[in-house]
Amino acid sequence: MAHTARFRAFAGLALAGAMTLSITACSAGSSDEGSAPAGDDIVTVGFVAVGPEGGWRTANEKNIQDSFSTENGFELKYAPATNGDQNSQITAFTSFIDEGVDVILLSATEATGWEDVLTRAQEAEIPVVLLDRGIEPNDESLYTSRIAPDNVGISASAAEWANSQFPDGANYVVLEGPPGLSVVNDRNKGWDANVADNLVKLESQSANWSTEEAKSVFETMLKANGNNIQLVFAQNDEMGLGAALAVEEAGLKPGTDVKIITIDGTKAALEALAAGRLSFVAEYNPLFGDDAISVVNAALAGDSVESSIVVPSTTFDSPEAATTALPDRQY
Amino acid sequence: MSAPVSRQPSAVQFVTRLFHQPYVWAIVALILLLVINLTKNPGYLGVSVNPATGNLSGNVIDILRASAPIMMIAVGMTLVIATRGIDLSVGSVMAVAGAVSMEFMNNAGTGSFGTAAIAVILALGISAVLGTLNGILVSIVGLQPFITTLVMMLAGRGLAKVITSGQNTSATNESFRWLANGTVLGFPVVFVIAVVIVAVLAALVRRTALGLMIESIGINPKAARMAGIRPVGILISVYIVSAVLAGVAGIFSTASVMTVEVAKTGMTAEMDAILAVVIGGTSLAGGKFSLTGSIIGALLIATLDKTIVYMSIPSSATPAFKAIVIVVICLLQSPRVRALFNQRKATTTSTRKEAVSA
Amino acid sequence: MAATEPIVEMENISIEFPGVKALQDVNFRLFPGEVHTLMGENGAGKSTLIKALTGVYKIDSGSIKVAGGPRRFTGTADAQSAGISTVYQEVNLCDNLTVGENVMLGHEVHGRMGINWRKTNLAAHDALVRLGLGGLDPKAPLSSISLALQQLVAISRAMVTNSKVLILDEPTSSLDANEVEGLFAVIRRLRDEGVAILFVSHFLDQVYAISDRLTVLRNGEFVGEHMTQDLSRGQLISMMIGKDVDTLNSLGSNRGRAVHAVGAPYYSATNLGRQGSIEPVDIDVHAGEVVGLAGLLGSGRTELGRLIYGADRPDSGDVTIDGVATEVHSPVAALARKIAFSTENRRDEGIIGDLTVRENLILAVQARRGWARPLSRREQNEICTKYLVELNVRPADPERAIRNLSGGNQQKVLLGRWLATNPELLILDEPTRGIDVGAKAEIQETIAALAEDGMSVVFISSELEEVVRLSERIIVLKDHRKIGEITNGPLVTAETIVDIIASEGSSE
Repeated sequence: MAHTARFRAFAGLALAGAMTLSITACSAGSSDEGSAPAGDDIVTVGFVAVGPEGGWRTANEKNIQDSFSTENGFELKYAPATNGDQNSQITAFTSFIDEGVDVILLSATEATGWEDVLTRAQEAEIPVVLLDRGIEPNDESLYTSRIAPDNVGISASAAEWANSQFPDGANYVVLEGPPGLSVVNDRNKGWDANVADNLVKLESQSANWSTEEAKSVFETMLKANGNNIQLVFAQNDEMGLGAALAVEEAGLKPGTDVKIITIDGTKAALEALAAGRLSFVAEYNPLFGDDAISVVNAALAGDSVESSIVVPSTTFDSPEAATTALPDRQY
Repeated sequence: MSAPVSRQPSAVQFVTRLFHQPYVWAIVALILLLVINLTKNPGYLGVSVNPATGNLSGNVIDILRASAPIMMIAVGMTLVIATRGIDLSVGSVMAVAGAVSMEFMNNAGTGSFGTAAIAVILALGISAVLGTLNGILVSIVGLQPFITTLVMMLAGRGLAKVITSGQNTSATNESFRWLANGTVLGFPVVFVIAVVIVAVLAALVRRTALGLMIESIGINPKAARMAGIRPVGILISVYIVSAVLAGVAGIFSTASVMTVEVAKTGMTAEMDAILAVVIGGTSLAGGKFSLTGSIIGALLIATLDKTIVYMSIPSSATPAFKAIVIVVICLLQSPRVRALFNQRKATTTSTRKEAVSA
Repeated sequence: MAATEPIVEMENISIEFPGVKALQDVNFRLFPGEVHTLMGENGAGKSTLIKALTGVYKIDSGSIKVAGGPRRFTGTADAQSAGISTVYQEVNLCDNLTVGENVMLGHEVHGRMGINWRKTNLAAHDALVRLGLGGLDPKAPLSSISLALQQLVAISRAMVTNSKVLILDEPTSSLDANEVEGLFAVIRRLRDEGVAILFVSHFLDQVYAISDRLTVLRNGEFVGEHMTQDLSRGQLISMMIGKDVDTLNSLGSNRGRAVHAVGAPYYSATNLGRQGSIEPVDIDVHAGEVVGLAGLLGSGRTELGRLIYGADRPDSGDVTIDGVATEVHSPVAALARKIAFSTENRRDEGIIGDLTVRENLILAVQARRGWARPLSRREQNEICTKYLVELNVRPADPERAIRNLSGGNQQKVLLGRWLATNPELLILDEPTRGIDVGAKAEIQETIAALAEDGMSVVFISSELEEVVRLSERIIVLKDHRKIGEITNGPLVTAETIVDIIASEGSSE
């Protein structure tokens, strides 16, 4: 799963322009309908999404789209960001306010810079529910609730598994996402706080959530340390799979010579776990559409809602566990 | 008037000529990076046979492998830039080529050599189509290369997502995987292929009059037209070459992990390509170009990326480190700084002359 | 008149560029209150010497003294602050500013609230009055005044800094006779104020009219320094080109040999025209004939040449070449039909600056063959050897970048480029402009010889004498129209053409 992908400033500018044009054009016709959902049975939901990014994200957004279906009494307007660009998200968010949707769901590509539009939504009395990604600074008065799995807790469980596997200590490296992202910080925090002292961190490098980069980075790490690495903590599945390829390329055996931990729990990772190429997969559960529906309904009914709702996630620590879970895996 | 003087090549002349090449500083930087790595481990440059896989293994091999895709896009970019253009779409074309081949092999189901061959042909074919579009928009419609290829960059990435339905797509095919992970006579296949492609291209450009015409168009398009050169065909050709080479790079990248990551494959690759070209001494203003320089630039970027990991430079400092190295190289080859160096050289030689005569 | 102590004294100056000695042991003195002309052919080293003085080029050996003390400048700006100002051939002014702003650029009068424009314009007015240009409004936009006046504005600007030395690099190349007279009046006025003036020009008449002293360079070497009155024109030309004067006098003997304009023309166009460029024209050129296009600047002479070559697409007209009806809509088509066109705009449409002389020479031949059939190195060398020797290009080094050659030698290389395509019809637009008398003579000789060998030539020049000397028939153009066609003969002179142009206007 990739969080905010690197994006290029000039592309962003061009896109922001294009998006502004198209979205204002779209909203022009519907803006006069007003925001009177009161007697309406159909609830209009605007979903400011990240868009295609990786297996996890696709599963998550599909789950949200499926949950907020017409049968369940919703009309979902899906607005994915263009190439992970925040400007296109803000534009979409603003036009949802102008259209007068009933609720806005937001998965922000960037954590900062949301104060203005969130305040506008508040003035328009539109509840905003954050999905997965948080905002910074985390001002809870600006949104109704945040539904997300707990990154700190998940990486803590990974660290505890590592402690149990290497009671006599080991050398390990970390493959991070792009530096500075809140998800990267959270996953580092949970890991560092719980990992045992006799596990030695040799180095930590970013592989930008990418299999290809992770393979290249880990191949060099192995050489730089004379293959003396027993454990890899990969902060997403893709990077873990890349590390496994590098291990095989070096003539070593993943699972035996080098154990690899990944977070997310996509199908590809579970398949690799079942085949013994990964050793531990901590799920970052993307399927919380039902939680989202109950939060939205509560917010619209005027009930009080918890400002932070943690989605429960499981872990898979053996090929058998993976094999059992695989048939039901949706993503 | 004397007839043109013939020049006898000699070792001294070769070295002097090398020092007049704009990419001499890139070579110096390359050597310096290797030396930095050597300080961490004197065996850095060592190459050995991996007993488990039977392949040659070593940091140099890794660098050669990592440089292959950059080399491909840098060489294509060089030709485009020589015509006063730019191709921002190479990264997206990489993603499209990767998406097409992975999606095809995934659906074909068989891991045969034939499937791999068709996947390669399909990927290069669609790359050529995108390049043709770029070329037509630039040369016939007359759009600016920057805008044209910027649009193609966005459209290409979108196309890759459409092809794979937004999913990272994997496939299993040993022949295809061998492209990126196998070796020929100990050298990585990707590197061998890249060298062969560059050699063929260099021969095509320098052994025919294509290079001369590309440079003419880049230096003075009006004069080139007056001299009877048809720019349209040449412009379309360079954009096709650039896109097809980007397709090759896309195949290299995806074959390495047998997965296309639609949001990441080839991301910011155009920046690496442009940097390699600039480091290699080809001016962004167009005109004279150096394929050798761009190849050295590509090697330098690959080495730089590897050095960052090898020396355990923290992730947060990586962009700054990379930027500093590149800025220093670009500074050293700027005409002004070079003039300063030549001037100092001239004063030292003249003082030496004076000393001799005195 | 001249003071006894030179203000500038350059001794034994040598500059070497990679592969060539641009200057070798050159001496040059400049006295206050005199006009000193630097003479020499293209490539003789005039510009290099000026750039050595102002510090644009570093000298390898020799000494430069200014006002008695040794000086080395770091560039034009440094030289200017020491009182040495340069006005270049191409005027370096800002079209979008006013006259006053241009004169005072960088020296605006500042008040408490930034620039005081009223005082600045007053100062500009004073500077203009000093040159006898009091009638010029400092507030007028620069683009509204003629090129000649712009040249004078450039001089005013140079003099704002109270320059002791004024360098004028070919200031007259784009001026007419009256304008030149106006410029000379200004130069004399400055000279009488004690300013030392270094003047570079190709026009012998002007040199004799204005200069007190001459220094002659040839091939980067010092030939001699003389007072102008002590030197006859013949002697001067011999010094410059190192040739006997009789060679020059024998030129122009082809005049009036109208023997080819019979029978079917090789090239014939009727109603050839293009909206907004030139009204439909009929033109015939026979094999071995030189047809001159005469007219003032903007008469349509260049436009007609471009239409014949297809550089601009004609929108009317029927063309036959060697009796076959055809269309020439692009340079590619023209070259395929053995038509070549040498442009007047050498820098923008002629040379490919960064490429070598060799590459520039072979370019058109190669373009016609297509990229897939490259000329072998041997064929390229043959072309180079042939044309570098035949056209006397200096330096005769095919591997030098063409932009490092002087204008005249670039022109010769371009001529070589077209001749290498073996054209049947050669269109030459101002092939001799801005080049010195020696190269000019060589190019004229070449043109005459080519026609003698059966080539059809269309010759375009702003110098009517040249047109009359070389052409068998002359087409006279005015205001984008053909207004007459005359067959050359002993009685035809430049005056004849001037009369045609003058009377045509008054008869309407």
